[in-house]
Amino acid sequence: MTAILLILLLFPLTGGVLNAVVGRLLPRRASEVIACLGVLGALGMAVIALILGGRDTYHLTFFPWIKVGDLSAAMDVYYDPLAAVMILMVTFVSSLIHLYSVAFMRDDRDYVRYFCYLNLFVFAMLVITLADNLLFVYLGWEGMGFCSYALIGFWYQDEVNANAGRKAFICTRIGDVSFSIALAFCFVLLHSFSISQINAQASSLSPYLATLLSLLLLGAAVGKSAQLPLTVWLPDAMAGPTPVSALIHAATMVTAGTFLLMRLFPVVQMSPTAMLVMAGVGAVTTLYAGAAALAQWDIKRMLAYSTISQVGYLFLAVGAGDIVGGTFHLVSHAFFKALLFLAAGCVIQALAEEHNIFRMGNLRRLMPQVYWLFLAGAVSLSAFPLLGGYFSKDRILLATFMHPELAYKVLWFIAVVAAFLTPLYTFRVFFVAFSKRADGRRAADIHPIPKFMAAVLWPLAILALGDGLLNLPGGIGKNFLGNFLAMVPGARPDLGASSALEWSMGIFSAFLVIASLILAYFLYSYRPAREPAMVGLHKMLCSAFYLDNLYRLIFVKPYQAMAGFLWRDVDNRYDRGLVKGAKALFRPYRAMAVFLWLKIDEICLNEGAMKAAGGLKVLSSGLGRWTSGRLSTYLTMLFLGLAIFFGVLALGYPW
Amino acid sequence: MNIYAVIFYVLGAVILGATALAITRRNLMHAIVYLVFSFIGTALLFYLLGAPFLAVLEVVIYAGAIMVLFLFIVMMLKSEPDHLTLGLRLRQWLPALALSGISLIVMTVFVLQAAGGSGPLPLVMASPLEFGRFLFQKYWLGVEIASFLLFVALVGALYLGRADGKTGS
Amino acid sequence: MVTIVPYSHVLILAASLFVLGAGCAIARRNLIMILIGVEIMLNAAGLACIGAAMRWQQLDGQAFVIFIMAVAASEVGVGLSLIVYSQRRTGTLDADRYDLMKG
Repeated sequence: MTAILLILLLFPLTGGVLNAVVGRLLPRRASEVIACLGVLGALGMAVIALILGGRDTYHLTFFPWIKVGDLSAAMDVYYDPLAAVMILMVTFVSSLIHLYSVAFMRDDRDYVRYFCYLNLFVFAMLVITLADNLLFVYLGWEGMGFCSYALIGFWYQDEVNANAGRKAFICTRIGDVSFSIALAFCFVLLHSFSISQINAQASSLSPYLATLLSLLLLGAAVGKSAQLPLTVWLPDAMAGPTPVSALIHAATMVTAGTFLLMRLFPVVQMSPTAMLVMAGVGAVTTLYAGAAALAQWDIKRMLAYSTISQVGYLFLAVGAGDIVGGTFHLVSHAFFKALLFLAAGCVIQALAEEHNIFRMGNLRRLMPQVYWLFLAGAVSLSAFPLLGGYFSKDRILLATFMHPELAYKVLWFIAVVAAFLTPLYTFRVFFVAFSKRADGRRAADIHPIPKFMAAVLWPLAILALGDGLLNLPGGIGKNFLGNFLAMVPGARPDLGASSALEWSMGIFSAFLVIASLILAYFLYSYRPAREPAMVGLHKMLCSAFYLDNLYRLIFVKPYQAMAGFLWRDVDNRYDRGLVKGAKALFRPYRAMAVFLWLKIDEICLNEGAMKAAGGLKVLSSGLGRWTSGRLSTYLTMLFLGLAIFFGVLALGYPW
Repeated sequence: MNIYAVIFYVLGAVILGATALAITRRNLMHAIVYLVFSFIGTALLFYLLGAPFLAVLEVVIYAGAIMVLFLFIVMMLKSEPDHLTLGLRLRQWLPALALSGISLIVMTVFVLQAAGGSGPLPLVMASPLEFGRFLFQKYWLGVEIASFLLFVALVGALYLGRADGKTGS
Repeated sequence: MVTIVPYSHVLILAASLFVLGAGCAIARRNLIMILIGVEIMLNAAGLACIGAAMRWQQLDGQAFVIFIMAVAASEVGVGLSLIVYSQRRTGTLDADRYDLMKG
């Protein structure tokens, strides 16, 4: 098993390194093949590991990494069913995205860099998924942060893209600071970085410490998963290539935060406060992002806000104590969100980089395959009854509702409102972009895209639609995923809800979704929607409640002001020289002396200052002659050194 | 105080005087000629101190080749005279005088303090035959390296001295 | 046995000569005079070596003088050709004009 997992990690790593080192020398096809093999190999290994490992939990070690005194961190692996599911999902989605990317980046000259980073990113994600040691996780965490920065800012020649990459990096960095503090706490409190050991010792933590640790971990997760208050980087990160958005912001990076919390669930569990905070953050973010998605005109930004919203559901799930539901929705979301992003990528490329949905239209007729694919994804996202995300979202809502505390009922309500908004914003985009419109696109506007790009998406579509089968609440495949994850600490395969409650919740959700769909139809399809003016409510929603502007006001502007002040001030000081500084210091004193004393003192002080300034000038010019560059000066200095040397000898000589 | 000591002191004075005159001349040619005198005096001193072969070499190489080369270069290059006004003279020489004075005093004190330097030296003459044998037995490697060094210097001088304008840079 | 001056006197003479050469190298602004100062210094060193050979009654001192002369000759050759070259490049032999390294 160790070998299998090691090879699993080495596949993408080797792919990335090979591409980095020799990628430019190889023909294009070879480089792409290396990259795809990197992930496909990992996928194969994941399947083999799943078959061999089954439901068992393994604790393996790759490599004893750091051992300094008390601190010992090894590259340990913790392979349990949760990790198995994650790895399978990550490698599968990554493989499809790699294949898609081959077609998507067909005209780009920097494909080597792209595939290298993509592979390295997958490697980093797999490290996080498999690692048993928090330092090892941190390694993958940082690696992912860097790769996402590099990939978001891939087309860095345009400053907007470079800024977006930086913004993403800085925001996740804030989360990383929280993570490092959490790491330090773990070490001090529990003397170990190993996840299994931390989980084993979790019950020994006092509630306060558990809360503190959990909140720090939540901070880390919030950064990576773009929850409030660090949501601002994800919409801007759409500046990267669409497959990157699909990989990073659908399947992997944004789920890494939740995954971390799920891994350390025994610790989180010890603190009901932290769980409430987690659930609260998740719920509020869900509603916030859902509302913001409602007003977006850029198709990718809508999907970005949708991601933030859905990941909020994951946080809500973990906060409500339901790991199975969280994992279930995580996997569902990966499928349909990746599908949506990639389909949007097809549309964007076909329309020559057009992101604005109000300039699309008529795509049903012009791009029928993409139409159906997008519809599959949209339906799944909306949690349409019996398809796709319906079961996973329903489970999360159920878990939240069933939680004993009253606060969770409030959160449930918030999540329900967001669930109403989801189909609304999804189908808003769907109808505006795809349905028949008089001012829509014509056949001449469509640039042909490789058939391969759309073909790759069909497996995702089928999975997105059918993944409810993974964890049906009743019937044949009842709780399949839940039972699979039964041995994961903190997992509850069966929520224990009464049949009546389950049915009523299910029907209520279905009703909600259908009502939302009808509303969307009337709003956006019955009459062709026009692009609304960017004022008032619409503007507020589109800019996500002005959060970006708030941050700019609080953080960016003062920093820029301070930086400007410092360099101007420092520059000024250096420019004018020390004499001006001395004179400036001297001036008030002189004024006082003139004011207070008689002419004699005035003259004395004046003369003294002049002489001092003159002396300084002479001194400075005298010293300045040292760097005259003249040969005789240097020779003199040489001889002076010799004389000094003699002098020193003379001093030390035993007379 | 025998005759040799007297000769030594006289020669010493001549050398110092000639050198002092050489370094303070404004006219380069005069300086070089004075220096030739100094080197001839040094050659005589070498002979007095028991190195006849080296005395001849001093005349041939130093006074004969090096100083003549200097003369040629001075005659070839048109150099403007050292711009020395009276006022500047002291400032130009002051650091040199100061440092030289200090160094000389310290060195003298050291030398006089050192043990084993006080007794008069026995006067022996090293014949060229003995010297040659010694040189090529003990320091043959040094001789080879010195010849190589001279060769390198020759190549360097040839390269740098090319007059066709394609020199260096 | 015939004797001559003590070794310290030879050394003092060599030291004075050395100091004269150093003074010339420092105080003069003409490049050729600087080189002459170097020559004087080398000569003084040779003198000290000869005296040492006599002092310790070994011929190594004299052998060393041969090498000093060889080095002086090669250094003068290259140095003078450099001086000629820089005279051609910059048109002056004034050491104060070669201040590109100023600042």
